[in-house]
Parts: sequence; structure tokens; C-alpha cells
Amino acid sequence: MVLSGATFAQHSISIKFENYAGTELLHVQQTYINGAGEQFTVRNFRYYISNIVLKNKLQSETHEGYFLIDQSDDASKEIILQTNLDSVSAIQFLLGVDSLRNVTGVQTGALDPAMDMYWTWNTGYVMAKLEGSSTGANTPRHIFSYHVGGYKEGEQTTRNIKLSFNTVDFVRPKKIIYISADILKWFDGKNKISIAATPLCHEPGKLAVMLADNYAAMFSMQKE
Amino acid sequence: MKWISTILFVALILLVAISWHDRKPAVHSISFTVPKGWPQPVYDFKSNPITEEGFQLGRKLFYDGRLSKDGNFACASCHQQFAAFATYDHELSHGNNNSFTRRNAPALFNLAWQPEFMWDGGINHLDAQPLAPITDTNEMAETIGNVISKLKADTGYRRMFKAAFGDETINTQRMTKAISQFVVMLVSNNSKYDRVKRGEDSFNLPQRLGYQIFQKKCIGCHTEPLFTDYSYRNIGLPEDDFLHDKGRMKITSKSSDSLKFKVPSLRNVALSFPYSHDGRFYTLLDVMEFYRHSNPAGASVDSSVKHGIPLSNFEIGQLTAFMKSLTDSAFINNPRFAPPGFETRMPAAQPDIHKSN
Repeated sequence: MVLSGATFAQHSISIKFENYAGTELLHVQQTYINGAGEQFTVRNFRYYISNIVLKNKLQSETHEGYFLIDQSDDASKEIILQTNLDSVSAIQFLLGVDSLRNVTGVQTGALDPAMDMYWTWNTGYVMAKLEGSSTGANTPRHIFSYHVGGYKEGEQTTRNIKLSFNTVDFVRPKKIIYISADILKWFDGKNKISIAATPLCHEPGKLAVMLADNYAAMFSMQKE
Repeated sequence: MKWISTILFVALILLVAISWHDRKPAVHSISFTVPKGWPQPVYDFKSNPITEEGFQLGRKLFYDGRLSKDGNFACASCHQQFAAFATYDHELSHGNNNSFTRRNAPALFNLAWQPEFMWDGGINHLDAQPLAPITDTNEMAETIGNVISKLKADTGYRRMFKAAFGDETINTQRMTKAISQFVVMLVSNNSKYDRVKRGEDSFNLPQRLGYQIFQKKCIGCHTEPLFTDYSYRNIGLPEDDFLHDKGRMKITSKSSDSLKFKVPSLRNVALSFPYSHDGRFYTLLDVMEFYRHSNPAGASVDSSVKHGIPLSNFEIGQLTAFMKSLTDSAFINNPRFAPPGFETRMPAAQPDIHKSN
């Protein structure tokens, strides 16, 4: 933790992730329509958050830790950090798991391979997972399944996310940062992704990178 | 005089207190010895210091069928000590629910020097290696979570994890570190070849001639002292029309890596038959017959075998004699690598190779 200037008493700050499909809160098994006009439902949506940096105009503060945000587990959607900053005006984090943790053996906690976000046959983390079904998917039970990972050069799927917002002032008891993640951006961003054309992504490579370029834009600050 | 004895008494109490406070946990370190003339290992021993307790835990895990879905498939079911920890006489190993594995089970030894694992090098760390066979549906077919729950429910394991790691926490990292502590100690460096190199023995004529031929025709890939350079090469084997195994290309997605597989070590090669990634060669003779008749086509075929390897019948005989000198009988008979408890059933105490040098 690096601080410039005076230090302040520690505050608790909560970062709450809320998953959306467009403007609606995400619910499993509810039908949504993506940018390609395909109807689909979501069964599972998970992603890693790490290397969180809190900032204000003068200071920045880096937080260790890896967090797995899981749509089916509400407790996982809240990250509580202790901060010395008196105010926070921007937040930066990595979506995914940095390459060092992909090459140094077996990790613990949120990074335990038992969390089912890990490729055993081609070592590395699945940075984010979106699974569901769509009638257009030519697969068993019309499943679509995007396991996006890859840490090597040319296959990088971690993305740096930078968000700024109106100052959160700790003098007042407002200590929650709301961040929304919009799954529709997976299909409709820098790249157009159609479930019918590419229902499965289960290895590092071109499709994983395209999905990663899209999910890089899925986060936004929520207006209160 | 009374105050002197009081001071001495207090000092004694203090000494006892300090030594009690500084007492080392009851783990017994095992030092990993690099055989003379060998390169430094790549395994990071600092992040996983080897102890007798960790080694014994890893050994128990290696031989425990509960790591598989139906309890029948321990690591050791495909990695048999008498076959230098390959599967004896099986081109492909047998996995859960009457399945075949997709590739020939490699022999396990000298893993501390191995930078990547599997025939395609897809696994980048020894600790991560066991997770692939544990979870693969045609191998042990279990989930990591289930394995951890089974271990947690076992009093014996809780005790052994505590002995090895200081407390009863059982997680994937500790399990795999313990397995690494066992398999990393599987060092094979006591073949006749090694004894000759150390000046303790001498080759007979066919072995000596075979060694000379080996140095001319094989050493480019099967580099001493590990007898592999750990590279990935296409030696010109036609693709199997059922398995369609592209080898290294599956990991790198590069067409230049099509049909490339890791160069296997030739240590203990007389025991680790059948040969090649899919076990298509049953004998050493088959392999050498392939090389001498091979005239492969394909962009990714290794330049060293573009026209096969010319070998006369005589050379094949001498090479075979040399390759048999790479069999390490001390290694395959080492009771410490046998199933837990094996030592107590042995007729006589055996020297511990880890303490001898």
C-alpha cells in the first residue's frame, strides 16, 4: 500500500458488483436478446477481479487479493476493503488473473482450481465464464458456453478496467461503490459475437481474445 | 552461595523457555541432491520445501484410489514403479468406465528438471500436473472438490496434512504440493550408464559401441544426462485416424507445431514400452525400424529426421545393448517409492538413496 501525503484513519469501503443484461438486473433463466437478435438465457456468470487500485486526485492505493464474482452467490458480489484514502474518485482493477498466478503452480482461496475456473490440460485460469442456452446454438440442449482464458502473449484475456465517478466522500457515511457489469456487451462491442456462429469457447485463442475485448467494456459506474 | 544457585536456576528456566519458544516444528527436511554433472533443476523447491512428512503424504496420495471417481484409479494405476512409473505393456492406459486414455502414460522420473508436462507440454508446473488426470473423464474422472472432501473426511489424512504443513487445512494447493514432494524425489540416476560415468563400472563391448552410435545419431534430441532436451518435435509419425492428435498444436494453436510431441527421456527405456505418444511401437526394434525406413512428408517434420535415421542391423543391436544400460534397477526397486508401508514388508532394510550421496 503506497500513500503520498498525510495518512488518514482507515475506512471500510465496499465495492458492489451488480450484473445486468442491458438495463435489467440479470436473473438466471430469464430470456434476453443480444446484439445479434438471438434470444438466450443465462445459467452461470462468473469473473475474477484482482489488483484493485483506489484513487483520488492526489493519491492511489493498491489492494492485494483475488475475488471471484459469481452470479449465483450474492455474498461474492461485495468486496470490502480497508482504505486510508479520505475520498475515492476512481477505481481501477484487473478483470482476470495476472500471468504470474498462471505459472506458479496451484493457488488457494478464490484461485483454488476447485473453484472450477481453471484449465487443467492447458494450465491457466478461466478469467470469466458465461454459460446459458439459446435456440440458435447447434449444441446439445442448445447450450452456449464461453470460458474465456489465456495469459500468454497474443492470447491475453485479462483486461484493465478504469472507472471514475463523483467523489465518494468518507466524511459522510457513503461508503459503497456500485459497479455494474452488462452481459450484453459480451456479444456486442468491439466484436460482434453470435451464439449461433460461435456457441463454444473452451480454449485460449482468437475467439477468447475477441470475447475479452468485448467484456473489457461491460463495466460501468452506477448512478445513485 | 544461595543467590548463585538461584541465579543459575532462573537462567535454566529461561533457557528452557527460550528453547521451548524457538522449537522447530516436527518436520524432517529432505535435501534434494543434484547428481554430479547434472544441470540445476527447474522445480522451485523454495516454494515447496521437501520434508519426510510431505513426501510420505504425497506417497499416500499417489497410491490412493480415492483420488478417482470410483476409487479404482490411483495415480499409481497408470504409473507403475516396475515400469519406471509408466504403464507396463499398455499402448494406452485404462481409465474410468472402461475407457482408453488418449496418450501413452509417460514414465515418471527426474521431474525436477522437466519444465513442462504432458506430451504436448500443456501443463506449466509440476504442482498443477495431477489436476489433469484427476479430472479427465477417461482417466480418474473425479472433481477436485470431491477429492478434497474425501481427504477432509479422513482422520489419517488430517493427521498427515498437519504433520506436513503445520495444521489440518486440506486444500488443492497442499494436496498437489505433497504429490510433488513425492514425485520430485523420483530421481533415476543409478543405471549402469550412470555407474560407468562415475567410474564405478564399465560397459561391455556392445554397450560401448552402442554408446558411440548413440552419440552420433540420437543425442541431438535425447541429450545427456537426462536423455531428452524437452523440446517438441514431429518425428514424422502419421496421424492416427481415430485419435487425430495434433500434439503441441493443441496448446499453441500454431500450425508449425502440428504433430509435435515432447521428446521422451530414454532413461529406463527398456521398461517403458510401448513407445511414442500413442504407444504404437511395442518394442525398441519397432522404433528403430520406423526411423530407418521413415521418409516423412510434412512441413513440421523435424529436420534431423527428414530422411529418417540410417541404421544397420548391427547398429540396431549395439544401440539396443546401450539403451538397456539405461535401466535403473535401484530406482524401480527402491522401497521408498513403493506403496506406503512397503518397507515393513521388506525382508531386509534397504539403504535410502536420498541419504547416501
